[in-house]
Amino acid sequence: MNAGANMQDNNREEGIPVIQRIVAVLWPSFLTAGVATGLFFTVFHPEELLILTGHTTVSHMGAYSIGFFLFWLLTAISCALTCYFQRPCHQIKGRRG
Amino acid sequence: MSTKPTSNTAAESVKDSAQEEIYAKHAKVYPREVQGIFATLRTLGVVVLLGLFYGVAWLTWDGHQAVLLDLPGRKFYIFSLTFWPQDFFYFAWLLIIAALALFYVTSLAGRLWCGYACPQTVWTEIFLRIERTIEGSRNRQIKRDEAPMSLAKFRIKATKHAIWILFSLYTGFTFVGYFTPIRELSLKLVEFNLGPWESFWIFFYGFATYGNAGWMREQICIYMCPYARFQAAMFDRDTLVIAYDEERGDPRGARKKNAVPGEVGLGDCVDCTLCVQVCPTGIDIRDGLQYQCIGCAACIDVCDDVMDKMGYPRGLVRYTTEHAMQGKKSSILRPRTIMYTVLLLALTFGLVYSISQRTPLNLDVIRDRNSLYRETNEGLVENVYTLKVINKAEEARRYHLEVTGLEGMQLKMAAKVVQVPAGKVLSLPVSVQIDPVVLKRAANEIDFIISDIDHPEITHTEKARFLGPVLGR
Repeated sequence: MNAGANMQDNNREEGIPVIQRIVAVLWPSFLTAGVATGLFFTVFHPEELLILTGHTTVSHMGAYSIGFFLFWLLTAISCALTCYFQRPCHQIKGRRG
Repeated sequence: MSTKPTSNTAAESVKDSAQEEIYAKHAKVYPREVQGIFATLRTLGVVVLLGLFYGVAWLTWDGHQAVLLDLPGRKFYIFSLTFWPQDFFYFAWLLIIAALALFYVTSLAGRLWCGYACPQTVWTEIFLRIERTIEGSRNRQIKRDEAPMSLAKFRIKATKHAIWILFSLYTGFTFVGYFTPIRELSLKLVEFNLGPWESFWIFFYGFATYGNAGWMREQICIYMCPYARFQAAMFDRDTLVIAYDEERGDPRGARKKNAVPGEVGLGDCVDCTLCVQVCPTGIDIRDGLQYQCIGCAACIDVCDDVMDKMGYPRGLVRYTTEHAMQGKKSSILRPRTIMYTVLLLALTFGLVYSISQRTPLNLDVIRDRNSLYRETNEGLVENVYTLKVINKAEEARRYHLEVTGLEGMQLKMAAKVVQVPAGKVLSLPVSVQIDPVVLKRAANEIDFIISDIDHPEITHTEKARFLGPVLGR
């Protein structure tokens, strides 16, 4: 809630619509997650991972999909943090003072 | 030090307006329908590329789907070739070739990819056609969107979206059909028996198609496409671009038909703004080269039409180069293009050669994870492995297996000869036994050597580790 309010505030200052911020986070992370998924599953066989972790009911397609979304979550977090830290520091100061 | 000023300074308002331009709230672009040589070429591109996408999924080759990226089976079938995870390297190589080809084409002919071949362009074109068929011409669409909601408007909009959504879902279905055999998939669909992940990806890809081609359109190119941002780096003064001939066209203005431009004190541009109306990204080509221009040449087609009607020569907006515009000669052979040509030829030749030289045999060695080693009743040390014998050939093969690296090693397996059917992976549990007195280290490197009995030139060696106790320490 708070983060959302901050974001809106921030956007008003920089004139960037929220939707575009969201796209800027989700889209590059989607691309890199795709690459990461490809590389990861080339090396590691999902069957072995599933047996080792005891998730024998998950299908192969499911393992690949879950892998992809975990990667996407991670890359999206790092993209979001980049976006967040990109905010000029003086704006934070200005709001407090 | 720098606190935010409370009032808008002049500099800031300039900055604000500049950013507003870049990030302005989206106003819908209604591209006007256009006919002409480049529109025909683009239609051809749409038919060929989408035909390939929707058609190839249904082709069969040698008893399997011609192009099938079988993720569960960890095999990619591309016609008569089968690729395994071990061949990932070829895929990376192919991507490098694709990227280089894109750079090459860009430096020669500008954004040909964007204008004619990019999936975003191709699917948007189809969606625009559907929209035009149902909603009518550009003017009728604009008028309808301005009008308040009525039953008729709702009906037309609902029909359009329903057709868009159906088409998107079929696109998603075809996409998943490249990963799950499409004939099986369609049977499952008819029986309402789709797996949860298959349904999920059909909806995911379908939603992406609907959103990107129906709603986002040119915004994808302007805000999301990495290529659009860096393509200018590959441009030089000899790159083919679409440009308005300012010298010939300006000053612009309306005039009577067949008026001689010089006599009315105007250039050739009649300022009909048709070039703006047809632009899928909503820019004015007369403002000069802009990064939003995807090079679709719709403005060339429509302007040529107008010039014909006015009785003026064609090409007020045309494919040209910066050098040609300045009256200089443009050259195709430049260091940049020569370098790209050489690299591209070398990489492509290398890839084809290396694929043709692939050994049709592979071996993976997986150590038993449960125990490091075991002592047998005879006092020997035993390590257990699972061998994955991969026969990439198109027919069944027989193999011989041996192990080297340590003195007096014995390989224990169920049968002397390993039979693997065509294109299959055989899991083969084996154990290696050795007298512990020869072990000098706790971890020893050994080699599994597999060879094709009927084709002795085909062999593969795979390293593995043999663990055991070191005696006398």
